[in-house]
Amino acid sequence: MPAVQETIDRVRKIDVDQYKYGFQTEIEMDKAPKGLSEDIIRFISAKKKEPDWMLEWRLGAYSRWLTLEEPTWARVHYPKIDFQDIYYYAAPKSTPGPKSLSEVDPELLKVYEKLGIPLKEQEILAGVEKPAVADEEAEIGDNVYKSGRVAVDAVFDSVSVVTTFKEELAKAGVIFCSISEAIREHPELVKKYLGSVVPTSDNFYATLNSAVFTDGSFVFVPKGVRCPMELSTYFRINEKNTGQFERTLIIAEEGAYVSYLEGCTAPQRDENQLHAAVVELIALDDAEIKYSTVQNWYPGDAEGKGGVYNFVTKRGDCRGDRSKISWTQVETGSAITWKYPSCILRGDDSSGEFYSIAVSNGYQQVDSGTKMIHLGKNTSSRIISKGIAAGYSQNTYRGQVSAHRKATNARNFTNCDSLLIGDQCGAHTVPYMEAKNATAKFEHEATTSKISEDQKFYVMQRGIPEEEAIALIVNGFVKDVIQQLPMEFAVEAQKLIGISLEGSVG
Amino acid sequence: MNMHAQPQRTLAETALIDAFGERLSLLPGDGAVMVKRDDAIEAIKHGLPTRRVESWHYTDLRRLLTSVPAFEAGAVVKALAPVLEGSVVLPVLNGVSNTKLPDVEGVTVQRLSEKLTDGSVAPGLERYGDDDAIGALNTAFVADGFFVDIADGAELEKPVELQNLQAGGQSHVRLLARVGAGAKAVIVERQTGEGDEALVSSVSQLVVGDGAEVTWLIVQEQPETATHLAQFKAHIGKDAKLTLFVMNAGGKLVRQEVVVRTTGEGADFKLRGINLLAGDTHTDTTMVLDHAVPHTTSTEVIRNVVTGKARGVFQGRINVHQYAQKTNAKMACNTLLLSDDGEFSTKPELEIFADDVVCGHGATVTEIDHNHLFYLMARGIDEKSARGLLVKAFVAEVIEELDDEALVEALEERLDGWFSTHG
Repeated sequence: MPAVQETIDRVRKIDVDQYKYGFQTEIEMDKAPKGLSEDIIRFISAKKKEPDWMLEWRLGAYSRWLTLEEPTWARVHYPKIDFQDIYYYAAPKSTPGPKSLSEVDPELLKVYEKLGIPLKEQEILAGVEKPAVADEEAEIGDNVYKSGRVAVDAVFDSVSVVTTFKEELAKAGVIFCSISEAIREHPELVKKYLGSVVPTSDNFYATLNSAVFTDGSFVFVPKGVRCPMELSTYFRINEKNTGQFERTLIIAEEGAYVSYLEGCTAPQRDENQLHAAVVELIALDDAEIKYSTVQNWYPGDAEGKGGVYNFVTKRGDCRGDRSKISWTQVETGSAITWKYPSCILRGDDSSGEFYSIAVSNGYQQVDSGTKMIHLGKNTSSRIISKGIAAGYSQNTYRGQVSAHRKATNARNFTNCDSLLIGDQCGAHTVPYMEAKNATAKFEHEATTSKISEDQKFYVMQRGIPEEEAIALIVNGFVKDVIQQLPMEFAVEAQKLIGISLEGSVG
Repeated sequence: MNMHAQPQRTLAETALIDAFGERLSLLPGDGAVMVKRDDAIEAIKHGLPTRRVESWHYTDLRRLLTSVPAFEAGAVVKALAPVLEGSVVLPVLNGVSNTKLPDVEGVTVQRLSEKLTDGSVAPGLERYGDDDAIGALNTAFVADGFFVDIADGAELEKPVELQNLQAGGQSHVRLLARVGAGAKAVIVERQTGEGDEALVSSVSQLVVGDGAEVTWLIVQEQPETATHLAQFKAHIGKDAKLTLFVMNAGGKLVRQEVVVRTTGEGADFKLRGINLLAGDTHTDTTMVLDHAVPHTTSTEVIRNVVTGKARGVFQGRINVHQYAQKTNAKMACNTLLLSDDGEFSTKPELEIFADDVVCGHGATVTEIDHNHLFYLMARGIDEKSARGLLVKAFVAEVIEELDDEALVEALEERLDGWFSTHG
């Protein structure tokens, strides 16, 4: 298994480097041996200073995981993963980065430049380490870098900005912290909601995550509060180094609203091969959660070697009446994506939305889509999926819409379009529709085509080069989804799609 | 997609395996055929497919096939008057092609039992995949059927009707047809029966020669005591046209598979399907269409009406191979779900490996449009009749598209027959 081996080699190399840089004492303490066992889970739990119930929960998940088989139904192919050959607590803090931007891969910098990312952010993204400086301001910066992996005090040019946001959120009563902190500080909330949407026995990767998750975000928006800011627009680099097994839990109480943005438009330096995250959203009566993702992890090199395996379980529960959950995703990275952000429409009159752009190039494999489970009365859902396959990639939309016996007046509209660029790639559509109620109304449409020569000619004869012309047409193709993103992200996402498709022509 | 090994055999699985042992000496076929039969029963020994096998996701055959009747038929059956007047009728009665072969110019008919005995059909007994349970069941037990050969350039004036009728018990039949280059033919495949519990497997294999035009109608009107497992496989040659019309209006547990491959440029395939579902029944139509060469076209339209406690399934997969550029494929599946106890599941799939293609599919599930109903009722038509009119119009639309008046009339008659008993 070359992919896993590569990670191991890399981690091993880092060990040596760490020694050289003299970080050893701290690092030794922060690392668990390779492999997965009850002891490792106890170690992780102890490291996180977790209460006993949390440890029990993890161990329960672990014993369940031992009985599960790795799923093989998705249209993705990869060498078998040896789960005993992975560090489950190889604290990513130990990763030494380049000392300055001049040491960073110039290709990466070019991309940052195209995306228009400020210099400071570029450094953070590329994992540049700052030497400790006596200057107070610089020290703040240093702290920020060191703690770059924790959600709240993540990565800002100025600490005062963070404080302002923290104050503002606190005033509104919004809790926004890392999941580890939440387990310690708000155990009653975590206990009540964790695993209530994605149970520990849900699926192979979610169960693994439940046993070994190391970090992630926790958001709690109390009754009637409209979260005063787009959460991750400001904290958008909070993903940095949170590890392979992330756990996110977002709760919107009655009438609350929150918009959460995950990920980053810039390609990240990422040491992890396997990512198995779990995201749970809970919307009570009249609440609304908007969750946007932009994912651009390392897709592997031109020959398809390396790259991140992104096996994620994301699910939202519209638990209350008139609640709403909306997923928006722009997926351009990762060697393999296996991801189906779903909505359980349990409350009456609740609604779910899924807007997705999945771009695959090179040897990327994407198997993504959604599930809309209609349980309550008068529930509605909408799915807009745009897949773009180029190079040698395989891009699959897989989605399920179901109406249960009591889901009177369930309504769904699904539209999934695929665009093929080049004759070596594949685009696939696998929708499942299951209606068990006579008043349900489901509509599904899908098309697959290539960019027509006419369209291309029309743009190019106005003096626009072929690659830009294609980016322009593709951006038109995905417009419906881009419109759902918060504005400044939409701008970056458009540029990102152009970059992802580079080299797909000619 | 392997059939998973099952820890314990179900009653049906055991019955099938036992029956094979008992029937073996009666089954026609030489060594090559026997090898295929042994291979097929081995597949059944591994267990019937469950919902974990993707192509059987909505039809868990292992769970649904609860019992297997004895081989012997319960009563004698007689050939029926054909759907299309004046057709040449080739009946298989209780699994046996026991009839005088007709003498029609350009048509050669052979009994399948003869072709099994001499082994000439052995290569065609191959299963098309690990999940081909119907192929396995049929290959293991097939005893008779017909082979119809239509000569190159022959334009048949009369339709050919292949009837597969049984009264209870088991029958496993194969209907093979070759339509020569440039020939034209209308072929009806009639699947029906009466009486006690029955298990029928029927595999049709058709080769459409270059430039030939074939209309093939499957009219399935099994009684509610029958399990009907059928497969239609076809290859369509260069510039050839195949229109397949499938009408499912009966049966307790029905699965009709359609496996089609375009093998020559310019080939055109049309599938039109009507599923009329009532009672406590399960009906599955599964299509796999391979666009294997460039410049081929296909359209599929499926209309379903679900009443009572019926469960319906439509799975349609269009594969466009990497070199099959300029493919144009469109599929639509529309369902009227008329009862709260009924259900319909659909999975239209596109698997596309070529870039210069236009492919699309659409699927809807809905009830009767209240505006339409209001429109009719405002004109003094009572609700029941208005509903009837709308439902009939919904399916008749597919029939009317066939540009053969005799065909349209004959099918509308079958439709009326169904509505008069289930409306």
